[in-house]
Amino acid sequence: MHHNSLKYCILLALISILFVGSSSAAPTAEAGKTIFQNQCAACHNKNMKDNLTGPALGGAEARWAAYPKEDLYNWIRNSQAMIAAGHPKATELWNQFKPTVMNSFPAFTDDDIASTLLYINAQFTKPAGGPVASAQPGGVPAEPAKPSKYIYYFLFVILAVVVAVLSRVIGNLRHLVAQEDGVTLPPQKTLLQTLTSKGVVGFLIFALVVLGGYTTVNNGIAFGRQQGYAPEQPIKFSHATHAGIQGIDCQYCHDSARRSKHASIPGANTCMNCHKAIEKGTLYGTQELTKIFASIGYDPSTDKYVENYDKLSNDEIKAIYSKWIADNYMKDNELTALDQKGERTVNEQWTEISSSLTNDLKESVAGPIEWTRIHMLPDHVYFNHSQHVNIGKIDCNQCHGKVQEMDLMYQYAPLSMGWCINCHRETEVKFTSNEYYNTYKQYHDAIAKGQKTKVTVEDIGGLECQKCHY
Amino acid sequence: MKDQTSYSDIWIGSEDLGRDEKFIDQASREMPDASVASMLAQGASFASANTGRRDFLKYLGFSVSAATIAASCEIPLKRAIPYVTKPDDLVPGVANYYATSFVQGGDYCSVLVKTREGRPIKVEGNQLSPVNGGGTSARAQAAVLGLYDTNRLRGPQMKNDGGHFETTTWKQLDDLVSTTLKPESRIAILSHSMLSPTEKQVVKDFQAKYPNTTVTVYDPVSSAAILRANELMYGVAMVPGYQFDKAKVIVGIQADFLGTWISPVQFAHKYAAGRKIADPKAPKMSRHIQIESYMSLTGTNADNRIRIKPSETGAVLGRLYNKIAAAKGGSAVNAPALSATLTEAIDKTADELLKAPGESLLVCGSNNIADQSVVCAINHLLGNEGKTVDLENYSLQRQGDESKVNALMTAMNSGQVDALIIYGSNPVYELPFGTAFGEAIAKVGLTISTSMDIDETSSLCRAIAPSNHFLESWGDAEAIRGHISMVQPTIAPLFDTRQREASLLKWIGGENPLFSSDQPYYEYLKARWAATAGSVASWNELLHDGVFSYTPASSGATYKDNLASVAAKLTQPGSGTEITFMETVAIGAGQNANNPWLQEMPDPVTRCAWGNYLALPVHFDGTRKFIAHENLEDGDLADVTVGEQTLRVPVIKQFGQTPDSFALAVGYGRTVTGRAGAGVGVNVNPWMKTDADGLVQYYASGVTVTGKKGEEDYFSCVQYHHTMGVTGEDSQSKEVINADEAATVYMTYGLVRQGFQGSLVNRTIIRKSHLDHVEEFVKDLQDERHHHQQLNTKQIYPGHDETYARGHHWGMHVDLNACIGCGACTVACMAENNVPVVGKREMSRHHEMAWLRIDRYFYGDVDNPSAVYQPLMCQHCNNAPCENVCPVNATNHSSEGLNQMAYNRCVGTRYCANNCPYKVRRFNWLDYNAADLWPINEADLGLKSQDDTIPYGADNLTRMVLNPDVTVRSRGVIEKCSFCVQRIQEGKLRAKTEQRLLRDADVKTACQTACPTGAITFGDMNNEEGDLSKKLASPLNYIVLEEVNTRSAVNYQARIINKAEGVDA
Repeated sequence: MHHNSLKYCILLALISILFVGSSSAAPTAEAGKTIFQNQCAACHNKNMKDNLTGPALGGAEARWAAYPKEDLYNWIRNSQAMIAAGHPKATELWNQFKPTVMNSFPAFTDDDIASTLLYINAQFTKPAGGPVASAQPGGVPAEPAKPSKYIYYFLFVILAVVVAVLSRVIGNLRHLVAQEDGVTLPPQKTLLQTLTSKGVVGFLIFALVVLGGYTTVNNGIAFGRQQGYAPEQPIKFSHATHAGIQGIDCQYCHDSARRSKHASIPGANTCMNCHKAIEKGTLYGTQELTKIFASIGYDPSTDKYVENYDKLSNDEIKAIYSKWIADNYMKDNELTALDQKGERTVNEQWTEISSSLTNDLKESVAGPIEWTRIHMLPDHVYFNHSQHVNIGKIDCNQCHGKVQEMDLMYQYAPLSMGWCINCHRETEVKFTSNEYYNTYKQYHDAIAKGQKTKVTVEDIGGLECQKCHY
Repeated sequence: MKDQTSYSDIWIGSEDLGRDEKFIDQASREMPDASVASMLAQGASFASANTGRRDFLKYLGFSVSAATIAASCEIPLKRAIPYVTKPDDLVPGVANYYATSFVQGGDYCSVLVKTREGRPIKVEGNQLSPVNGGGTSARAQAAVLGLYDTNRLRGPQMKNDGGHFETTTWKQLDDLVSTTLKPESRIAILSHSMLSPTEKQVVKDFQAKYPNTTVTVYDPVSSAAILRANELMYGVAMVPGYQFDKAKVIVGIQADFLGTWISPVQFAHKYAAGRKIADPKAPKMSRHIQIESYMSLTGTNADNRIRIKPSETGAVLGRLYNKIAAAKGGSAVNAPALSATLTEAIDKTADELLKAPGESLLVCGSNNIADQSVVCAINHLLGNEGKTVDLENYSLQRQGDESKVNALMTAMNSGQVDALIIYGSNPVYELPFGTAFGEAIAKVGLTISTSMDIDETSSLCRAIAPSNHFLESWGDAEAIRGHISMVQPTIAPLFDTRQREASLLKWIGGENPLFSSDQPYYEYLKARWAATAGSVASWNELLHDGVFSYTPASSGATYKDNLASVAAKLTQPGSGTEITFMETVAIGAGQNANNPWLQEMPDPVTRCAWGNYLALPVHFDGTRKFIAHENLEDGDLADVTVGEQTLRVPVIKQFGQTPDSFALAVGYGRTVTGRAGAGVGVNVNPWMKTDADGLVQYYASGVTVTGKKGEEDYFSCVQYHHTMGVTGEDSQSKEVINADEAATVYMTYGLVRQGFQGSLVNRTIIRKSHLDHVEEFVKDLQDERHHHQQLNTKQIYPGHDETYARGHHWGMHVDLNACIGCGACTVACMAENNVPVVGKREMSRHHEMAWLRIDRYFYGDVDNPSAVYQPLMCQHCNNAPCENVCPVNATNHSSEGLNQMAYNRCVGTRYCANNCPYKVRRFNWLDYNAADLWPINEADLGLKSQDDTIPYGADNLTRMVLNPDVTVRSRGVIEKCSFCVQRIQEGKLRAKTEQRLLRDADVKTACQTACPTGAITFGDMNNEEGDLSKKLASPLNYIVLEEVNTRSAVNYQARIINKAEGVDA
């Protein structure tokens, strides 16, 4: 009860925030958060304290305090115009960050900017060290922990022992009573005799066969399925960071999901769209992102792609990226030459990079990043992403879980046939919005007459063998 | 015994017609000679011991432990490898199509190539092509497999001091050429016909650098006489453009123009246009008379057939000419005499031709200049020039003259050739004097071949500069003057090869700026196009469409009456028995011998695969026996002697073969090629002779054939496989009788028991009629169908009709008048659906896997029958007999009318195959695709022989051709035609994505797109506006075995022929 009322409060609060946010009334930090995540977070650090591609935004208002408020607002809307106009603060920033150009946001209203600044200030002044997930208020509260099933096993065993002890006690007492009454009962069986009696042995064999059969069949059916499979990947890529915090749309990277049967892992060139600007990670520094560069042949020291990269030897490649790692180490530690620890760092990072990008069949560091495949359907199953994403408008989360919260990707759904079929039974076809379905005249008539309220995938043959097996 | 129709209407072969016991035994069993016991007894894997109880326990123990070990293992780590830089125009999982051209010597077909993730996997016809109009041939369909041929060379080869080839670098090979060739060197280039104008320009550039270069062109199956005769009669050495669609009377003499002759896809496309019955109320079609010595694909499709010996061609042409000249006012020639029967038939043929002046066409395959000159003269007299015989847009598909090769050989032998470039040809195998040519090669200083693999000729050369496969090449082709077709690569070269044009350009030497580019010949081609045709079509448009047409300058061909100068050289009749050497539809002149799809495709006429078989004429003994020469039976081996050389050849009894003559195909007996082609059949090329003009004659006289000398190992003839019971058992007398005989018997007793439910007699398989009787035929057909439909109206699955009416209901229509039996669809089906190649041994055991077979039936006169082809695939019956016998429901019906097959449910009882009246279900007896998880199941397939054990599709290179959308089946499951369900689903998805109703063009089956004549139409029967609905309205349609109430989804349109009275002989 208490729980429910808490949910209610949060929901109400959220709704009111939504209302306030969507009306053009007062600027709020909540609205600012949305704007920041969608528009700014790709280049500006979310802790507001460190520079990323763009400068740290914390204290921006204070830094611009010497100028009218409009100047900061115009700067945010179109920085290049301000630089061209020769604004002193603008020129100062340009000199610091060029040649990186900030995107223009001419559509931002004053309120939008005010909201964003509110959020920036709130984040900037907030004490550090909060968990990442706390940036997601309104997330579903954690489910109450279920008691482990082992407790039941344990209780069962205790009770069985109690029953055995009690029945023994009763037996003993009955014998004692009989002895008192002078009646002779057959000699009491020893425990061993009881356990080896035909009845018990028969029951045990029966139970074993049933249990064994049940387990065999269940494991046989599940053979090859791997729900929850979460292998280590060659790059410590976090969907939580990309899809969650940065809010990048799934189909930005997995663009073929709407066009093809495969969702496809994006090529390194897609990564480079952003990571040309973001060359260091917050958690792993140069180590993980350099793997992308080493795969595609981008030299972050010079901001250029290396020519004929695929023809370089691993040692030549190592030279390029060791330099980059070393330079960064020196810069971070304000050194002019590499110290011993620095050399160790460079070596460790390169060893990790090179082992991630090579394997038994791939000798060169250059070339594709070989990810470990998680979702595997058997060869005799045809599945088409575009049918589900594009036509069925199924949310990615429905089958893949809350990917935006997964640091390490895992298989969320069982991907079993039963799981597919159940969904096909329940899912409604987007029947009226797609002209293709006009073929099904009878269903349209039935809907018009009110005989049918919805058409499910099953109704148009979604359970038939050759919809998926051919 | 002219007409056997009184007791036998249709038959498939002599053993059927003669009710051979062996045949009856085979036909009565679904899976003859294929029990597990016999399989184990023949195979080596378990054959070492009799499988007793102990062995059974051992195997059981092993399987349990193996399964346990396998189950406890973790699933192997699988990698997902993305692109480094994903190409913009490529979406993984979505096919891209590129327009290119299949060019193999003079063979040509404009095609679209389907690629998946950068791999070409399927060839489709190019609908925009004015030449082949979207049709393809079996050879074009199979070409994609040639790309992944394991026999291809991986890089340039040079012979070491020991005479063995070693892989070398292009630089070393080019250095060898540049140091050897001097500007004054006498160089010879030996090539097949070159269709590419740009390639010819490259050769000219080469000649400019090396002025003493001679270019010799020959065709493996020659039409040199046509070129020389047209030069004589019209002043232009050409093969005229034959317009079969404009001809009302077509006469073909020794020319298999629908199957193999010059441009069969184009000819079939046009021929069918005049053969389809568009309006059954006022039916119209052309008349086709075929005069030939063996049963060709074209002959089987003809209305009238006149059987001649090959040496009688000249006499026939002379008689025909004289008769027409007499009517049209030309001077007579001195023609050799003919028998009275033939004279009468030829005179009537002349009458037919004379009835259609300007709308008739005579074509002839003779390689004799005088014969071909007479053909020119007859077409001229009939006024066909500019109408059915196009002298402007003529064909460039045959440009060769083998007599020039003889001259080259003489020069080589006398040391007058410094360097020989074998330019995509294989003369040692292909020419009758090949062995002598091989000896002459040794006398040339530098010999280089551009062959893709080591063959009979390249193995004798000093070096091999392997060319690309056409799917890896740039180029263009002008097969018909005025129609250009592009060749563009669909994949980067798989191996370290270089297309032969680029090799020539490289060998020109000097600082060629082209070679700073990755693709020098692409730059050359593009630059030439910009210079010559830039204004005609933009480059990208050109590559997109693949074809474009222009109006060429006048050919200047005018008729010159030079007939008298050659008339004396007409082919003279020989004496004694003769033999015809013909090409088969699949293998051609041998270039395709190493393609297992083509080897496994049964020849349309003989229905034999994996070899060439001597066709024997069949004699009727007056009772019920059909006997051949020396009482030889199908599959027997006989010794054949022509001149001094004797070969042991398997034989086949062939209806329609001219008495006292035989026929045997060229293109077989390759010795140096890959494992699919080497040692298959016998090589007949050394038997051929050249005439006085140096032209190869495709027949020989004075042939002797002995009696039985043995039996062919694994005789692979599918003629009697999967028959639908043309012969059956009489339920009363228990006697085995012919279908229509049974019907006749019942009629005699006055009992109307014709076609009763489930009987084997009088089955509705082929329905046919004559053009003059279409009206009565339609009435009879309607009555018969009505009767059949009343026999049993019950449905196994009530309520299905309602379901089908809801959305789509897939169906098919096959026009038997348009189907010429060329087999392009069967190969397309194998390519599309990952149907495995089983090899000769398995095929001989009825284990062929083809989902679509083309049944060939004969009817009419047993001595000279007509034929009809019937493509038979799963009929997707609504009352499917296969479905209700499956114990695990692995085969069932979809709401869209498809008879579905779920491989992973199938446990292999084969009840369904047993219960299928159409015999279209195929069982994976062995692991033909090497698809099994446990390699133990791959052991011993014995494909061509016991020693040949690895499946053809087992290596990773060949597997690149697999269609990733279709499951690769492993051992122990049934499979069958799915109506290309993957294409149906793809088409529906396309319509959904574009938010519109499904169109006919969205879903076309592989067989439908492959067909050169448009005989197959697939579609949604519920779509009243669709093509299919229009075809389904024809009153000529019938359903095969309608009397057994399977309610099939495939309609056949009855065969109508336009036979003229008294022309047959």
